[in-house]
Parts: sequence; structure tokens; C-alpha cells
Amino acid sequence: MTRRIIFPLILFIVMVLEGVALELLPHQLLMGAYMIVPHWLFVILIYIAIFYDRNDTYYAVLYALIFGLLFDVVYTGVLGVYMFSYALVIYIVRGLKKLLQGNFYVLLLLSAFGIAIAELSIYTIFVVIGLVDMPIETYLLNRLIPTVLMNLLFLIVIYPFIIKPMRKWGTELM
Amino acid sequence: MNFFRSKKLFVILIGFILLVVLIGYSLNSRGHLNFAEKVVSDAVGWVQNVVQAPVTFVTDVTSNISEFKTTYEENQVLREQLSQQKSLVYDLQKIEEENEELRSIIDMTNTARDYEPIYASVIARSPEQWVDQVTINRGTNDGVQENMVVRTAEGMIGKILHTSRGTSTVQLLTGFDEFNRVSATVLRKDKSDIFGMIEGFDDETEMLLFRIIEESDEDIKEGDTVYSSELGGEFPEGITIGEVKEVVADQYGLTRIAMVEPAADLFDIRNVIVVNRSMEQPEGEEEGDDES
Repeated sequence: MTRRIIFPLILFIVMVLEGVALELLPHQLLMGAYMIVPHWLFVILIYIAIFYDRNDTYYAVLYALIFGLLFDVVYTGVLGVYMFSYALVIYIVRGLKKLLQGNFYVLLLLSAFGIAIAELSIYTIFVVIGLVDMPIETYLLNRLIPTVLMNLLFLIVIYPFIIKPMRKWGTELM
Repeated sequence: MNFFRSKKLFVILIGFILLVVLIGYSLNSRGHLNFAEKVVSDAVGWVQNVVQAPVTFVTDVTSNISEFKTTYEENQVLREQLSQQKSLVYDLQKIEEENEELRSIIDMTNTARDYEPIYASVIARSPEQWVDQVTINRGTNDGVQENMVVRTAEGMIGKILHTSRGTSTVQLLTGFDEFNRVSATVLRKDKSDIFGMIEGFDDETEMLLFRIIEESDEDIKEGDTVYSSELGGEFPEGITIGEVKEVVADQYGLTRIAMVEPAADLFDIRNVIVVNRSMEQPEGEEEGDDES
């Protein structure tokens, strides 16, 4: 029963924290050419997809749809962008997980891949609707690479705290 | 197997159509949020209010420590400035009194300069840096309306994009484009002011683009201060926007563009003032709160 509430609660708090995440970074980083976008919500969703979901459950994809939409409403005002990108990529990650063992290195690999694909999807949609006109080379260098690295850092930092409860709940689901 | 594969494809296709519909909807109905969006914004805003307090405390403590090192030099400079201010205060008082007297003679109560401030604090900044929005903790309940100017003590930072009951979203100057622009002016003597529009932000130089529409006999030059102008109809006049750094020709060579350095720090925003124009619009509601 508590499982039903705990994930939405964690995801909601993480989403709220993303709103103040940029205040915690030094301002020189924000003023410069580099853009660092926190995808903490997505990182948590990857944990859920790899360590919690069984082969026949779709919790991560469901949460990606719900909280992606919430993110769009609260932070961007353009509905559907994060919802679609997050849900699609979590679905792909979920598919790839079946081929690999669920350990730390696989998590790292799949997350780097997932964040990059989600970022590219968001970039593509924003360019198509004309909100952004950043050349792809600038985007890759100034936004994609720093963003992936910083989010991997977040993933590694929370790993010791989140892995045990996640594994425990995962076995309970069976 | 084949059946499942086509089912997956079907779901993804439906998802894609949904995406296009949602984006189309949200780009068309800009200006106001629908009911569900308002409820969500209010609920999240309430939590953000709670979360924001400890975060501000932590960032304040760290910035205090780093500022501590420069306190001595700053103190010297401020003391000098203070002695200059004292004489200015006297002048200002004189002029204000005179202004009031003259106004009472010609029976003029409100001007485009007057406004009622609504004080607010920033509770969140959009993690998606392409949209350049911050959320503040005042909404329609406090009298905030769409398109009001938002400023800090230093100068203009943006305008209200949309509102819910307890929160509103501010579009920062850095996110301005052809659809979100501000009429601005550079003051010159004898009513030959320079007019133009702030219509964009250059990420590389971190400068606002001020397109000059009406030139003046006296040329625009480096160091001129750009103010908001009442000619756009939406904003009060006299709010500092920034300082001219460079003047260049636009890509067709027809008009000129001044690069303006924003007066307010657009990256470190805590407390803001929403500018509620007290002068009534020409149509309607003139007998309401005109006299007090």
C-alpha cells in the first residue's frame, strides 16, 4: 500500500526541488555559455525502470507520463514536450534493461544514453515549434554534454541512498 | 509477435498525435491558463513556498561568507556615495514639492509614472533554461494581472506571462522576442527623445537588443540609460531597463540596434516588485478608486 504513495511523493518533491536547483549552482555557471538542465525527475524514473519494474509492469512509463505533464504545466508552459520525451525514452530504457543485468555499470550506461536521447528529443521538439534557434553544434557542446555529465553526477550521489530501498521494494513486487 | 509489434507502433503513433495536439493547444491559447493548469500551479506553488525558505537560507549563508571578504572596500565606496546622496536628497525634496504644487494648479492627479507596487518573492526558476521563466508567490488574489511589468530595485526584469490564484509566471527580458517586446526610450532635451523597442536578447554578449524606431537630432551614444516608455500602452514609463553599450546597424542596414546591458541582474533574482499601473485605462472604471 505504501508503495503506491511513496514513488509519486518522491517524484513530486524532486520536481519541486528542480525549481530551486539552479539557485544552488554558482551564478558564473549560469551566466556563461554553458546550459545545465537538471533532469532529476528522469534520473529517479530510470531507477524505477531498472530496479523496480518487472517485465510485466509499466510503473516507470506511467509516472513519466504523469510527472512529465506536471513538469510541462509548472515550468515550461508548452504541454507535452517533457511528457512525450520522458515517457518514450523510459519505455526504450525499460526495453533495453531486459537484455542486461541490473547493476551499477548498466545503470550508468543506460542513464547516460537515456538522458542524451531525452535531451535530443526535447531539443528537436523545441526547434520544430520555433521556440529555440540554436545551431546543433553549439547545442551539443554547450548544453548536451554538460547536462548529461551533471545529471550523471546527481545519479551517482543519490545511488547509496536509493539503491537498497529500491531493491527491497522491487522484490516485494514479485 | 507480429500483432504485438504493430500494437506498440500504434501506441507510439497515438502518443505522437497527442503530443502535436497538446503543443498546438498550448501555443495557441497563450495568455491565460485553463482551469486544470491553474489548480496544478497553485498546488505546486504552495509546496514551492515551503521548500524555498530553507534553500534561500542556505544560499544566503554561503553568499554572505563570500561577500564578507569584500566588505571593507565596499564600505569605503558606499561612504563616499552616501555623502553625495545627502545633497541630492535636498534637491529632490525641493523639486518634488514644486512638482506637486504645479500639478495641483493644473489639476492633474495621476500620471503614467505612478504605480502601486505589489511585493513578491521568487519561489522557483524554470529548470528548462530556454523558456526563461520564474515563478513568484503572488497571483490574481493579490491583484497581479497578465502583462504587468516586473522589476527589482535596480530595474525592469520582465513581465507577467500568466497568473493563477496564488502564483504567477514571469517572462524574463532574456526570453523576449518579436512577440514579447517593450517600448523603450532614451531621454533627450526638448522632446526629441529616441524611441524604440526592446525585442530580444543576445546570449553571447548578454545584451538586450534595442531597435531604434525614431531617431533624434542628438545621436544615441554609449552610456545612455534606456527607460521604459508609456507609448506601448501597457507599461508605466520611467522604469530603468539598462545602459547602452554599443550601437550597430541591423542586418539590412535600414535601422540601428543598440546593445543594452540590463540594469537588473537577471540571473540572481530574489525579491521583485510587480508594477500595477494606477492610472486607469481610458475606457471604463474611472469613478472607482480614482479619488482617495
